[in-house]
Amino acid sequence: MTDTNGGIMKYIPGLILCMILGWLALQWDQSIHKWQKDYQESEKILKAYSHEGQPFLSFAEYTAKSEEKYKEKLAAFDRGETKEKPKKPHLLKEKDYVPLATTREISSKFSFGERMIQFQLTYVAVLLLGGMIIRNTIGLPKLFQPGAVLARPIIKPGIILLGGYYLWSNLLKVGVFALLLVLVFILGTTVLVAVLGRRMKQEDGLMGVMAAGTGICGVSAAVAVAPVVNAKPRDFFYAVGTILLFGTVALFTFPYIGKALGMSEPVFGAWVGTAILNTAQLVAAATWYGHDSLLTANIINIVRVGFIPVVVIFCIWFYVIKQATAEGKHEKINTWQVIKEKFPLFIIGFFAMVTLNEIGVFTEDHRTIFGKQFLQIFFAVGFAGVGLNIAFDDLKKAGGKAFVIGFIAATLKAVLSAIVVILIGTEAFRVK
Amino acid sequence: MAETKEFEEKSKKVFSAERKEDIWVLVLAAITVILGLAGVITPKTFPSLFF
Repeated sequence: MTDTNGGIMKYIPGLILCMILGWLALQWDQSIHKWQKDYQESEKILKAYSHEGQPFLSFAEYTAKSEEKYKEKLAAFDRGETKEKPKKPHLLKEKDYVPLATTREISSKFSFGERMIQFQLTYVAVLLLGGMIIRNTIGLPKLFQPGAVLARPIIKPGIILLGGYYLWSNLLKVGVFALLLVLVFILGTTVLVAVLGRRMKQEDGLMGVMAAGTGICGVSAAVAVAPVVNAKPRDFFYAVGTILLFGTVALFTFPYIGKALGMSEPVFGAWVGTAILNTAQLVAAATWYGHDSLLTANIINIVRVGFIPVVVIFCIWFYVIKQATAEGKHEKINTWQVIKEKFPLFIIGFFAMVTLNEIGVFTEDHRTIFGKQFLQIFFAVGFAGVGLNIAFDDLKKAGGKAFVIGFIAATLKAVLSAIVVILIGTEAFRVK
Repeated sequence: MAETKEFEEKSKKVFSAERKEDIWVLVLAAITVILGLAGVITPKTFPSLFF
């Protein structure tokens, strides 16, 4: 979509490659999740019967007993004795139950699934790590490159569909904190980088792009600001290199740091929503951590990208108006024009989904289809594109004092925002 | 100077491409929602794509 040379056909091979990789990763994900559930069920069965030396039930008795228990729980829910509707139990298949009852040992396949989930090696990790390894070892043939670039924004329909999961009340509750985080950390970083750049006598073009990129929304903001601050191509690639390098490091480390710090899913979502600079990377990190994390990170991200026009207006003021005033010239900002040109349109789709959910258009089935199942399809294709586009050569383009300023500012934002979101706590960021 | 001008044009072009990209993204999401509401896509569709 970014270039018409060669027509639409040049995107097809890369897109097909990303779809195949996405499908393979989702197949992997489905398998390990099923094996993990089988592992947990096997453990439950062993605990119930094995240590007491009781004989195992036959398969027919096992399924009948589980069904009976489920019906009892459902009846209690219908009577209003329990708040949460019980989930249908996950039962072992006969071909898995019989060996368990005979050997009293959990299948190695199930233990493998449990381990993979423990290490968070879900479809997100497989696509990002796999794509990065392919790109930097055997390389991505030119034939696939345009399509792999085009695959990245396919994450966005997933973000829109996720809107069907929220009510306006959820959005406003978390949105207040999101707004606070965006104002303090994101706009704060933009201002900090701009001021530091001036103090360290760096070029305006470079620091303008860096300020927007490290502050708000990675590459999109850098692209939006570049013409305003007369950035040179070299400046742009330095800034984008820094943003991508920080994002890549964050993407692969934050989920493990989050676990090590004992962050709940909503708190982690709030953290990555604030600290990771690029939409695709933050969505990937949040999805990696869990669905609740994604729900929170998505709100912060929506508020954040909505602020792109504000950052552009700040950069026009800081680099153009202020300078012109100092030189005795008179320049004006056409605020409405900036908002019209720079506002990310896909946000409207997200809000439309929230509204449709609020007025009761979606059933529970719709929410599952859009917010869990098809979301994964779009994310998988997009993450394949993200992984295949992490080229170490691009990351090496980051350099010089500007890199130091950008990296310090982004790291500072990550550390401080981690402390703040932990202090604010889980309940403030919990969507449901 | 010419290089900067050229780059400025290019980044404007990239941003307008991002705008077009957003429209495609909205269309793709809308199609999925319509198919879901029409019952063409059901909760069984997704699991049926995998072994």
